Amino acid sequence: MTSRRDFFRYAGVTGGAVAISAVSRVAMAALPEPVIQTRPDTMPPLVPDSGTPYNPVVTLNGWTLPWRMNQGVKEFHLVAEPVVREMAPGFKAHLWGYNGQSPGPTIEVVEGDRVRVFVTNKLPEHTSIHWHGQRLPSGMDGVSGLTQPSIQPGKTFVYEFVARRPGTFMYHPHADEMTQMAMGMMGFWVTHPKARHPLIDEVQRDFCFLLNAYDIDPGSYTPKTMTMTDFNLWSWNSRIFPGIDTLNVRLNDKVRIRIGNLTMTNHPIHVHGHEFTVTGTDGGPTPKASRWPEVTADIAVGQMRQIDFVADEEGDWAFHCHKSHHTMNAMGHNVPMLIGVDHSGVARKINKLIPEYMVMGERGMADMTEMEMPIPDNTAPMMTGEGPFGSVEMGGMFSVLKVRRDQKPGDYKDPGWFKHPEGTVAHEYTGPLAEPARFKAEGGQSMPRVQSPAKVTEVQVRKPASHSGH
Amino acid sequence: MKRVLDVFRGRLMLSTIALAALSGCASVSLEQQMAKVNDETGPFTDGRLALARTDRERTQRAQTAADLLKAPVGQREAVHLALVNSPALQALLARGWAESADAAQVGRIANPVFSFERMVAGSELELGRALSFGLLDLLTLPSRQGIARRQIDQSQLRLASEVVDQITQVRQAWVRAVTAQQTFAYAQQVLTSAEASADLARRLQSVGTFNRLSRAREQAFYADAATRLATAGHQATASREELVRLLGLDETQAQALRLPERLPDLPKQALEPDAVGSLATRGRLDIRLAQAELQTSAQAQGLNTFTSFTDIELTARRNTRFDNESGTKSTARGFEIDVRLPVFDWGGLQRDAMNARTLAATNRLEATLRVAGSSLRESYSAYRTAYDIARHHRDEVVPLRKVISEENLLRYNGMLIGVFELLADSRDQVSTVMAAIDAEQQFWLADAALQASLIGRPTNTTLSVNASAPSGGGAGH
Repeated sequence: MTSRRDFFRYAGVTGGAVAISAVSRVAMAALPEPVIQTRPDTMPPLVPDSGTPYNPVVTLNGWTLPWRMNQGVKEFHLVAEPVVREMAPGFKAHLWGYNGQSPGPTIEVVEGDRVRVFVTNKLPEHTSIHWHGQRLPSGMDGVSGLTQPSIQPGKTFVYEFVARRPGTFMYHPHADEMTQMAMGMMGFWVTHPKARHPLIDEVQRDFCFLLNAYDIDPGSYTPKTMTMTDFNLWSWNSRIFPGIDTLNVRLNDKVRIRIGNLTMTNHPIHVHGHEFTVTGTDGGPTPKASRWPEVTADIAVGQMRQIDFVADEEGDWAFHCHKSHHTMNAMGHNVPMLIGVDHSGVARKINKLIPEYMVMGERGMADMTEMEMPIPDNTAPMMTGEGPFGSVEMGGMFSVLKVRRDQKPGDYKDPGWFKHPEGTVAHEYTGPLAEPARFKAEGGQSMPRVQSPAKVTEVQVRKPASHSGH
Repeated sequence: MKRVLDVFRGRLMLSTIALAALSGCASVSLEQQMAKVNDETGPFTDGRLALARTDRERTQRAQTAADLLKAPVGQREAVHLALVNSPALQALLARGWAESADAAQVGRIANPVFSFERMVAGSELELGRALSFGLLDLLTLPSRQGIARRQIDQSQLRLASEVVDQITQVRQAWVRAVTAQQTFAYAQQVLTSAEASADLARRLQSVGTFNRLSRAREQAFYADAATRLATAGHQATASREELVRLLGLDETQAQALRLPERLPDLPKQALEPDAVGSLATRGRLDIRLAQAELQTSAQAQGLNTFTSFTDIELTARRNTRFDNESGTKSTARGFEIDVRLPVFDWGGLQRDAMNARTLAATNRLEATLRVAGSSLRESYSAYRTAYDIARHHRDEVVPLRKVISEENLLRYNGMLIGVFELLADSRDQVSTVMAAIDAEQQFWLADAALQASLIGRPTNTTLSVNASAPSGGGAGH
């Protein structure tokens, strides 16, 4: 048995990972001991110590699953189980996942590896794993009912196949899929090329993450799995801003980011300050002729996009989904537009209709102070994040690409805020201000309406003076 | 001769005194009357009743009333105020006194009749003197006095029971007045809140983020609140005036009357059914009244069997004859007894009537006994249910609504819901608070009714269920 020793070695590598002890050692004798991750942080890359060497990926707010070599076969052990995932500091979700986290650990193998994956089901219902995008025997495809019986609670199944083509793949259940994916069951799979590949460039930094979405009522913990379109949390690897780690790279590093979409809508992912090319999909590397520079790549449902670029501009660059409501956390959709209207204190006046004497000591007055603007328990603010110049006012699918001259190779630590060179930051103009001339002739209509409106409505646009409270 | 006359006179005097003394036993004074009524109702009213007859007494009572009116008048104070101030109650007492005095009259015997005759026949002058009184009256005196006492008892019990009724009305009117005032104050608060939202909607429309329809919808709540306020205002006036009438306040006093801002807190514990049962058996007014009535008619029946047959009148006669011619005078003395012969009327009808009356009284007592338990159980049930409902509102419904409103505010803070969703919730809050106030009112009304029922003046209140209709999940994403 090498698993115990493996465990200790991997524990050093993967941070907070611990071996599961609930399953009897005798029963587990033939299985690699499952490794459980207890922390939601981005773990350092898992440099392979056996098999063909490769340049490992870094999973954003995630980790790579250690394996054991068993007579030339890479053996992994995935445990499907309920987990508590911290989606952002102060906000935990009750999800389903693998080995302690949702999404599950990234599985990294090399092209041509024979892979054996043990899947133990500790969920209250049956499951299966589908290896999205892989070439494999039909019976290993993981569609319960179609290609295999489902894995009943308490049972362990074995999947075994050769990782035939290099690329980026995903894994997720194909049994009660709607529920299990809405609960966060998914993971990444990277098959590295076994040799230099003409279409796959060597990179210094290789990041990956999955796009996922949840509908968790503010103040509650468990996603509503019946939601079809009206999700309120848009996450990367089940994390939401400001809980998503930054992507920290060294100046002039060649950077690769692999993004898989397991939500139910598309996400135009946008990088500031750089142009990238889409160098691969879940179908494999794209032909060079098909690549063109872009700053936004739309990732459709069930797709994976691999983007490459050279990080040759120093600074803190926003990196986010370009659907602006996807860079917000839970929010109401029927909230009236209140900009330009003084509504201070109105809510309290409206809402204070239960006389004090009628309920005493239900709640302290402390959390009712006007200044703090408390929100429901276990709820991430709709937009937040304190940057070096004030609130970033973001949520959801938002992070920062940090390009630094002094970032050491192989060092993924957050270097802190960018120190802008003198005179390179936008600043307030303090000189004389002339009223811009306006033309009545600006705008008009191509032809008059038959019925003219009773009263001409003037649309006034006012910018908020201060709206940082929410 | 003269000696004999003296002796006769002496005897007559004695018997007159004896009669006067005997009949005195059945007399009734105001003080006795008040003491009796106060004994009966004291624990109930928690105060003393007195009939003011002199100016000094009246001033004193006016002073007490003025003192009571200085502070907000609680339920207990309202009862005191009624006791010292209400002219209606005073009238009731005076009438009760009159009734008792009438009843006492029965216990007295008719005054003796003195007749004097002067007859002249030729030279003869005859002076006839006769003192006659009803012998039967005298013989039946003890039993008639018994009847009188019972009737006095009866009238006192009746008076006590009317006092209880009046006081119960005062209590209930007080509860209604305080509730109406509380509701009115609350309606003002609601209006302020509705005003704020209407104002916000108006501002939203003015900057162009709200259209007329949305604004009109928000304005509707405000309009509704204004209507409610007007109704509540009238209700407050009406129920206050009812209390004013029951307390018998004059203009100045009515202006001075202040009520507490809200109903008292619910008692920590409701009365247990056992306690109520044991309280009730001790001297209920209605049962004792029915008993007194039965006894009176039973005793009257006993007397009636005798008096319906006959009537006996005893007369002492002394005739003096003067003969002017002979210059002599002779005196004749004697007794006369008149007996009415039951030849034509043997008094059967009278006895039948008495029998029937006794029978009726017996059955009335039985009916009262039976009704007493039942109505008490109903009163208790009303009381207990009202208590439980009011408590449920206090401990469950209102706090829940409070939690909802607080959570909504948190959601509003997080921009998860809009200000108008808060408003929708506030409508639910209003109906919950109204229902809670109403539940408390029901309890205090039922409490007053139960107290009256316990002392033997069955009063039942109808419980009206006014549950708040909270809208379920609704707003909240």
